[in-house]
Amino acid sequence: MMQSNEKWKVALVQAVVILAIALVLGLVVNAVRSGGIAMIGDWSAEARLTAPTGESVIVSLSEAEKMFADKATVFMDARSKEEYDAGHIQGAISLPWHEVEQQIMGVVERIPPDRLIITYCDGETCALSKDLALFLKEMGYEKVRVLVNGWSLWKGAELPVETG
Amino acid sequence: MQSIDKMNAANISTRRSVRQVLYVTARLILGAVFIYASFDKIIHPAAFAEAVYNYQILPDDLINLSAVVLPWAELLLGIVLIAGFWMPGAVALSTLLLTIFMGAMVFNFARGLDISCGCFSTSASEGPMTVWTILRDAVFLLLAVYLLFATFFPKVPLTSDR
Repeated sequence: MMQSNEKWKVALVQAVVILAIALVLGLVVNAVRSGGIAMIGDWSAEARLTAPTGESVIVSLSEAEKMFADKATVFMDARSKEEYDAGHIQGAISLPWHEVEQQIMGVVERIPPDRLIITYCDGETCALSKDLALFLKEMGYEKVRVLVNGWSLWKGAELPVETG
Repeated sequence: MQSIDKMNAANISTRRSVRQVLYVTARLILGAVFIYASFDKIIHPAAFAEAVYNYQILPDDLINLSAVVLPWAELLLGIVLIAGFWMPGAVALSTLLLTIFMGAMVFNFARGLDISCGCFSTSASEGPMTVWTILRDAVFLLLAVYLLFATFFPKVPLTSDR
């Protein structure tokens, strides 16, 4: 019967081999398939917020402020309802990304596809707003933009907010 | 006394069978979970890479490589666990991976990061990472730890002679 410490050495070799095979399989399949990804990805904010067509969906705070002045612009808060209730951009509606499938039909009924929509969440790396924006585009909304780190920027610039 | 020895022998072999059944069941469950978890990630590497990115733990340059390799490691582990092949390496690696996932989830839960779990699916329908996803991973981790002990420290089969 194998001693315990021999088993650990065997385990180490086996684990390394499993990982090595996974590495080779992963790299080979990724290289030959059609949907493969680059080995080192571009994870900068600009790259992350560029739609597959190549156009960037980012708006700056000053652009968002101008669009806010136009009452037809709809701001959508992609964060959870609790965070929305605690404070959101004045006039924004709550459409939590994690509940988008339950709530999207209500939004589609109320908001025509030609309206300008700006999604936002909180934090430089928050993906909720971008995911929501791309989803809205797929649902047929022509003009959707993302205000990166929207909540913090908006609050920081002391622009109109509300709660509840 | 002869009858007591016979009772002990039957008792011992029943206990051993129960242990064997538990062992195989744990292997099959954990193996199936790993295989199932790997599918969507292999099919949608870009989306999975984004899920990995959202955890904000790995450096940017390692994200894509991890996203490409991890699902295959899960698939292989699942196959090996179900086949009962290379158990020491398989259970050690499973425990290590699940511990890392647990650590990543607890860390992000603690710092309030609102992200998708990315555990079984790369789509939004899987929902956010919550206490429940952490608990679910804890169950898998428990299975792996059980297998780890059963593989590395098996109870010496009791013999009927003392």
